[in-house]
Amino acid sequence: MTAGDILLQQAINGLSLGAMYSLLALGFTLVYGIMELINFAHFNVFMVGSMIAMLVLQAFGLSGQQTILTGLPLIGVLLVGFIVSMVGCGLIGVLIERFLLRPLRNVKGPAAMITTIGVSYILFNLVLLTLGTDSKNFPNPLPPIKWEIGGAVLRLREVLIWVIALALMGGLTYFVTYTKLGKAMRATAQDPEAARMMGVEVDRVVMSAFFLGSALAGASGMIFGLYYNLAKVDIGFAAGLRAFTAAVLGGIGNVPGAMLGGVLIGLIESGSGQVIGAAWTDVVIFGILVLVLVFRPAGLLGRLAPNKS
Amino acid sequence: MLTRRNAFKAAAGLAATATVGTAGVANAADKVIKIGLNMSFTGADAESAVRVANAAIMAFDDANSTGAIKGYKFEYVKFDDGTATAGQYDPAQAATNARKMVSDKAFVAALGPQMSGAGKAMAPILSEGNLAIITPSSTNPDITDPKFAAQYRPAGKAIYFRTVATDAFQGPNMANFMAKTLKIKSVYVLDDSGAYGVGIADAFQAQIEKNGVKVLGRDRLDPKAVDYAAVLTKIKALNPDALYFGGVGQAGVKLVKQSYEIVPNMIKAGGDGVYSTDILKGAGFPSFDNWYSTQASPHVTEEKGSEVFTTRFFQRFGSRPDDYAVTCYTAAQVIIQAAKDIVATGKEPTRDAMQAAIQNVSLKGSLIGTVEFDPNGDMKNKVISVFQVKKDAAKPLDDTESQFKYVGVAPMS
Repeated sequence: MTAGDILLQQAINGLSLGAMYSLLALGFTLVYGIMELINFAHFNVFMVGSMIAMLVLQAFGLSGQQTILTGLPLIGVLLVGFIVSMVGCGLIGVLIERFLLRPLRNVKGPAAMITTIGVSYILFNLVLLTLGTDSKNFPNPLPPIKWEIGGAVLRLREVLIWVIALALMGGLTYFVTYTKLGKAMRATAQDPEAARMMGVEVDRVVMSAFFLGSALAGASGMIFGLYYNLAKVDIGFAAGLRAFTAAVLGGIGNVPGAMLGGVLIGLIESGSGQVIGAAWTDVVIFGILVLVLVFRPAGLLGRLAPNKS
Repeated sequence: MLTRRNAFKAAAGLAATATVGTAGVANAADKVIKIGLNMSFTGADAESAVRVANAAIMAFDDANSTGAIKGYKFEYVKFDDGTATAGQYDPAQAATNARKMVSDKAFVAALGPQMSGAGKAMAPILSEGNLAIITPSSTNPDITDPKFAAQYRPAGKAIYFRTVATDAFQGPNMANFMAKTLKIKSVYVLDDSGAYGVGIADAFQAQIEKNGVKVLGRDRLDPKAVDYAAVLTKIKALNPDALYFGGVGQAGVKLVKQSYEIVPNMIKAGGDGVYSTDILKGAGFPSFDNWYSTQASPHVTEEKGSEVFTTRFFQRFGSRPDDYAVTCYTAAQVIIQAAKDIVATGKEPTRDAMQAAIQNVSLKGSLIGTVEFDPNGDMKNKVISVFQVKKDAAKPLDDTESQFKYVGVAPMS
């Protein structure tokens, strides 16, 4: 491999990681933008999403990497996998919001944030007790198609992840910018009081934000499984923390910021693994985060938070 | 001197004939010899923990039902050093368990832990309480190394005994095997940041360099990270003949999967940490095919003499024992033998007496041959066995005994 091949390969690695982090970061950002709440339950909603996706694929009779599908069956299985994990996670998000966070909506202080940490551990332990701690072999029906570009290898699953991530982000941007509910979300984010006076149902808006954010976590759970062929009870903390960092790096509350942050963190991770060593990855990521926050406290693209004045 | 095969027959015969002497079957009036079983029942190593603990339970139950020691019976209490948050053994939990055992005077000896990281946390506490522990599988050499006596046995006496060899042999002997038998010319070394992983990788690296093999690089994986593509891409570009991984299942599963994607044809090897059900299940085939691994014990479960043990184990627990179940069974036999030695002299099996008796034990005819300890607590007899993963579709794909093929004994340094 020449230096150029290595650079290209690490860029491919980084972009795939980045796509996953971006989708996850969007969930943090959507909820924060509207409620100024950091939803730590998001970590493990993502993990539950990957478990749901795994169970769906297993229900289709797929196990490990033994069964390869092509054409319509492949598209069908993937579609059902994505829809079930997204809707499942979306509903979990809605339940968390409706029954655990809404009663705390007007409580000042960190009560709501602490609640989300508690919920995160409840989800973690539910999966721990029902599915166990071992690493699961996530079924992967994707054909092992790959393209060689010089010495670098681009695999079908990487392209698929980018396409799906871009489509979901595009859909979200369209939704937030052009639909009525999306406009209501942005209005609530800017000024909840004024939005309420203009007839926006704030409860519905908050619930939609939770549904959308959690559904994206479900999608990233499925993507994670397809990319690593792995589902495990502790992946939420590992990937979740990086995604949260991505959201803060890009400017929490800011939708394009979350996408940018995710891609940057992914590229930094693969770059530092190549140049400095995998042992230093966290040091590099969090070091850059600290530097950015020192000079741009609101993140790269600026923070969008409710106007609470 | 018994040959090993005869030793099995003797051991098997012992188990069979012991049932004849039922005169001293344990009864309620017997005094209790309380033993702690500290394993990682939660997390990535839970399955092997149950298997290893079962082997000890079988040994103690045998001793009780046959009245091996007149007037006494064994009682065991399980301690779990794994936590859900750690996802594997947790040194803090291991230390807590050690304190619990030390503070209860009834505990006179212990078995465990499986993992060196837990052992490092437990050893100083057990030393203060002079509570002897025998580990069936933790192989980090530091714990018993006299150089680190101030750290791991501050009270002076050896309390950390092993029925396995250490990574001081496991890593280097594997290095000899890879240099001499596999004839590799260059290697990249990875570890998983744990006490065991770093130790075995260091020992491997030092010896492989002595063999004239070029080490193209050394890196450390975060076991909780999910993506090792960056470091594997770097390795692919360096193109070494082989990749050596010091570590256990948590990082291992991800490394096995991703290395198959990125460097499918490279020779890959690890220590006993990759001899793992968790990796067979989580990574499976074809990713795991052809990986080499070692065990820090003689390979006995396939030998004829151990059939009695294997069959009884299977009948009772419904799963096959692995080599570390054998070393744990042997460790329990050492404790039973030590207690027997003490009672034979008319004394009480107290903690101090047990420590001294284990130090001086000579258990002949066990499944792994004669067990005797040097003054540091290490076994005098050290054998490292090499295995290679070879898919056997006719057998359960997550059974280590069926999927790891015995290659031979790794050459001593």
